[in-house]
Amino acid sequence: MIQQSAILNFPKALIDSPVISHVIRNYDVEVNILQAHITPEEDGHMFAIFSGEKSSVNGAFEYLKKSTIQVILPTRNLVWNEEHCVHCTACVGQCPSAAFTVDQKTFKVDYNEKRCIACKLCIPACSYNAVESASDYLRRTGEL
Amino acid sequence: MAKTYEEINEKIRKKQAVVVTAEEMIDIVEADGAKDAAKKVDVVTTGTFGPMCSSGALLNIGHTTPRMKIQKAWLDGVPAYSGIAAIDLYVGATELPEEDPANKVFPGEFSHGGGHVIENLVRGQDVALKATAYGTDCYPRKELETLINIEDLNEAVLLNPRNAYQNYNVAVNAGTARPIYTYLGVLRPRMANANYSSAGQLSPLLNDPHYRTIGIGTRIFLGGGVGYVSFHGTQHNPGEQRSPNGTPRGGAGTLAVVGDLKGMSTDYLRGVSLTGYGVSLALGVGIPIPVLDEEMAAFTAVRDSDIYAPVIDYFNNYPNNEGEPLGHVSYGELRSGTIEIQGKRIRTASLSSYAKAREIAQKLKQWIEAGSFLLGRPVDPLPGAESGKTFKLLKTRPPKLSNRIGRK
Repeated sequence: MIQQSAILNFPKALIDSPVISHVIRNYDVEVNILQAHITPEEDGHMFAIFSGEKSSVNGAFEYLKKSTIQVILPTRNLVWNEEHCVHCTACVGQCPSAAFTVDQKTFKVDYNEKRCIACKLCIPACSYNAVESASDYLRRTGEL
Repeated sequence: MAKTYEEINEKIRKKQAVVVTAEEMIDIVEADGAKDAAKKVDVVTTGTFGPMCSSGALLNIGHTTPRMKIQKAWLDGVPAYSGIAAIDLYVGATELPEEDPANKVFPGEFSHGGGHVIENLVRGQDVALKATAYGTDCYPRKELETLINIEDLNEAVLLNPRNAYQNYNVAVNAGTARPIYTYLGVLRPRMANANYSSAGQLSPLLNDPHYRTIGIGTRIFLGGGVGYVSFHGTQHNPGEQRSPNGTPRGGAGTLAVVGDLKGMSTDYLRGVSLTGYGVSLALGVGIPIPVLDEEMAAFTAVRDSDIYAPVIDYFNNYPNNEGEPLGHVSYGELRSGTIEIQGKRIRTASLSSYAKAREIAQKLKQWIEAGSFLLGRPVDPLPGAESGKTFKLLKTRPPKLSNRIGRK
């Protein structure tokens, strides 16, 4: 069993097609949709976690790519700027993959990048600019 | 045998005072009982750090040549109120730049505002001041654009009408349609998460629930420097329903506080951007509580599991002043990471930082132990439940023609 997060960019021609339903029924994968922005006549965007056997998940991605959907598998996800963090834990309440956790003794926040699935729910939750997306970070530091 | 402020201060001066944090007091009272703890401990330190709206900085910038009576002013693009005198400015924590798109593209980012200007001043950064005036015989100047720095100001005072709420709501989104963006953070639909904001057992007013020692004139830790309680805070509501240990079961007492901004630090004072809501100021407040007697020892030993907060729906009930709390939960449950409401397990997160609250209580303890921070005896108490003071809603009435500005 694997879990893989993916950003899916749908061309507007595909907005009416039940693509995710097809994936679930034919590839035996679970799809946990964390963010979706689908509007008629516009390109659509979705962020979801796919779980299942490795071959099934990969098969699902192959199908999606063949359907002209852009599939992005995030590698570096986001950056925690600890020096800005006040350890309030607002991010912890949003994080679906326990990448952000709070130590029950020190009550300080910790970030485990390996667990991050790049859903970015923590970014609007942080009031202190302590988390930013990898792309924003790279742009800001001139690495991109 | 009760202790007096004078006795405790004498011990502090001689560096003989026994000072513990409100967390440490819990174990002491459990081991020795409140009576012995009252003999042993002189001062309990408390702390809290979180977004505290109803904050702002009062600045006296010094006179220009020629002189100017400022009518309108902006600090780093954020409007500051100048209708006080010629060169006194008040910049409020929640003020936004006029050109900020706010929530026009929802949810707005609110990356800059009054809270951030105050943080930048405290950081020692130069801040751009722009000001305009209509000009008078004694104050002829009409325009001003300059950098200012906190060091050069005559006065920079943090002057906050309402801080350190004694307990607060736990916010959830009981709607089904969409996430909501509140001053208690991002709340996902179907009560997917719950946010709270209190230091609970470390919080100042929860350790002195009936305001026996915290009153007007109390010397406090404020934003990393020294400040004072100046009055009861706005919306002070001592009549809130209380648990048997005296702690209120919802927002109750509040404090107006004041302190020299020049002595503060960005470790304990930060601008806050609340997505979809606005800007504010996060502030550290720590208050020493004298253990005058057994009752105060018992109050300061209150623990998270015995302090309850109401769970409120912020999708419909809070904005419309409708409905009842969905339940009450303890800070012990809240801090564990999940609560149960109406049979549903809900993940929790705090907007206030318990780690910082602890740091503040420790720091204040060190100051007192070092003999450099004496306790201020209140010159007057805060209104208690017996005052009958309540927190009212506004009944709106249509204005009359005679209320029009400039009508003679």
